[in-house]
Amino acid sequence: MGNKWRGYLFVLPALAVYLAFAVLPALHTAYLSFFDWDGVTLGSWTGLDNYAEVFQDPGLRGSVLNALVLVVFFAFLPILMGLAMTGLLARHRRPGMAAFRLLFMLPQVVPLVAVGVTWRWLYGDDGVLNETLSGIGLGGVTRAWLGDFDWALVAVGVVGTWVLSGLCMMLFLSGVQKIDTHLYEAARLDGAGAVREFVSVTLPHLRGEIAVALTVTTVAALASFDIVYVTTGGGPGEETTVPGLLVYRLAFSDGKVGLASALGVVLSLLILVLVYVINRLSRDER
Amino acid sequence: MTDTRFQRRRRRVPTAVCTLALALLLTACTALTPGSDTGGNGPRTVPRSTAVPDEDITLRLTFADAPVMVDALIAAFRKKHPRITIEPSYTQFADYVKNIKLSMASETAPDIAQFAVGMDDIAARGDILDLAPYRDTYGWDRDFPAANLEQLSGSGEQATTGRHLYGVPAGLSMTGIYYNKELAAKAGITGPPKTLAEFERQLAAVKEAGMTPLGVGALDSGGLHLWAALVNNMMPPRDYRDWVKGADGATIKTKETLAATDKLTEWSRKGYFNESANGTGQVDSTGQFTRGDSVFLINGNWAAGQLAQAMGDKAGFFLMPGEKPSARAVSSGFSVSYAISSRTEHPEAAGAFLDFLGSPEAAKIVVANGFLPPDAGAVPTPKGVLGEVAREHKRVTADEGMNHFPDFTAPNMLDPLRAGVQKLIAGRVSPGGYLDSLQAVWKERNGK
Repeated sequence: MGNKWRGYLFVLPALAVYLAFAVLPALHTAYLSFFDWDGVTLGSWTGLDNYAEVFQDPGLRGSVLNALVLVVFFAFLPILMGLAMTGLLARHRRPGMAAFRLLFMLPQVVPLVAVGVTWRWLYGDDGVLNETLSGIGLGGVTRAWLGDFDWALVAVGVVGTWVLSGLCMMLFLSGVQKIDTHLYEAARLDGAGAVREFVSVTLPHLRGEIAVALTVTTVAALASFDIVYVTTGGGPGEETTVPGLLVYRLAFSDGKVGLASALGVVLSLLILVLVYVINRLSRDER
Repeated sequence: MTDTRFQRRRRRVPTAVCTLALALLLTACTALTPGSDTGGNGPRTVPRSTAVPDEDITLRLTFADAPVMVDALIAAFRKKHPRITIEPSYTQFADYVKNIKLSMASETAPDIAQFAVGMDDIAARGDILDLAPYRDTYGWDRDFPAANLEQLSGSGEQATTGRHLYGVPAGLSMTGIYYNKELAAKAGITGPPKTLAEFERQLAAVKEAGMTPLGVGALDSGGLHLWAALVNNMMPPRDYRDWVKGADGATIKTKETLAATDKLTEWSRKGYFNESANGTGQVDSTGQFTRGDSVFLINGNWAAGQLAQAMGDKAGFFLMPGEKPSARAVSSGFSVSYAISSRTEHPEAAGAFLDFLGSPEAAKIVVANGFLPPDAGAVPTPKGVLGEVAREHKRVTADEGMNHFPDFTAPNMLDPLRAGVQKLIAGRVSPGGYLDSLQAVWKERNGK
């Protein structure tokens, strides 16, 4: 018995930190979600009322839908871009690769708040995007992208695509380096072209990396906060309001800590389910 | 057989622990109820005496606006009271309003704190002091404009039970309309409009002349300032103030506010605003105005310093005009004001500092920092656009026309206002639907 438990001793420090700073706060949040509490005065037990409101309030439901739209821009597009760039960069080693990789990795290094501010300028009335459009004779489609009811969510999504594409590419490039070069040689001997090689050799071997990328980017989309907070603050109207923003707003401005906690719990569960599905689908069926 | 039983027993241990933990949690429930450790004591009032004891006193002051002004005020106050030291601690506004309720409820609350939305709630809990006795002893009714003191007298029940006071103003703020005199002349406009109808004719004339009439920074607060300016001049101030204070049966959906809201959508339909109003912040709309991108601009006195510097004599200022030339001058505004914690050991010393804010010395410091002084007579009227702001402010003070900003109605009113006006500008909501959404937030807060 003693021997069996000794192993846990080594885990204990990490486990203690994890319990204190991740598990307990999460449980505390779940606990708070059963209260009507303004953050200061005495709260009152309301059972599942907050959850009922999360599912009934159109504003809260709408924010979850917005987050799901963002998954397209934060997860699908970056993975496609990452795969395309990997296909272009991985086949041959050329000088200057490190510089390329650094360039595409830059968005990951810059703080998201700075990214948001920069893009707000790019999207601005006389920002680079509108100037370019006017310059090539498309003056008719210029607009304040972040203030447009139809385009604001897309505009915010594109920022996410820009940030996360580099991350996906890095993941895939490092995955490609693990692939046995003999496989490529064999494919080429069989007369495979660049596309065939990518589809038949590279892609299947990147299965694990794609699953990781999909998990990380989906979580980034559903839990997004900084980019939206800095660029649009959820506007115009509620077009770009996401759950992360509402959790913050409900808890700290509106004094509805219980409702914010309930929304946080629902959001976490949604993320867990999606991550589970992704991992299930990407598992090798053997 | 032994094997399975062993496994089953092993599994039972964590289950037992979990059950025990849950049971503990439930029995301890009353103590675990959030907020139970910070029991409020109910409203509290400052002691009657204002005499500052003759000893070395240190006060802590926490604030979010105008650090340069605060430093100067503290230095000037120290010259008068050498034994009172004030230690300022500055927090950015957005973080300040998020934390202030918690820090005022804590045992280590600062002695003096800048007043913010939600202070009415902590006043009811007794975390900040009712200053009414000091007002009477020091004669603050004489030193400060009545409307600004009224804004600091609580809301809901507090506002209707006697004359309370929870803060004292240092610098005042007010919204209005700036205009570019040079561009306005090109559209045949010779001076500020006397009525709302005349202002509408001017907007149309500017549009006719091929320029953008009115710059609105509706990405953040510019849109709600414009809406409030229209409401101020079309809804009787008494009805509006009842609504902000949460009086029984008050509503924001009236014939007048519907007309005011309708006017905003009409102006948007006619193309009177900058095309990208919803994507432009207030700071950006001000920058565009200085570059001549719009002839008029909705903003507040806080922009006057910047505009005077960038445009010199070209910039002018007027209040949103009323429906008749003789109409009462009404505008939205608030103040940088300070409250006293009920946990302070030196309410008399803190009171002396607040009293100092009404003095001519303080007024000079306030004006130098771009705010309007509580006592306008204490300083000479500045030149240029700053002078026009000061003159319009005197008119509002004389007419007791200072209304609260609409977001003071409830802590969660700011977002519906901002998002709602964006929808009005884009034609995504009807005026009635917008007012209904505001009233729903009001109702949630006031429960009437």
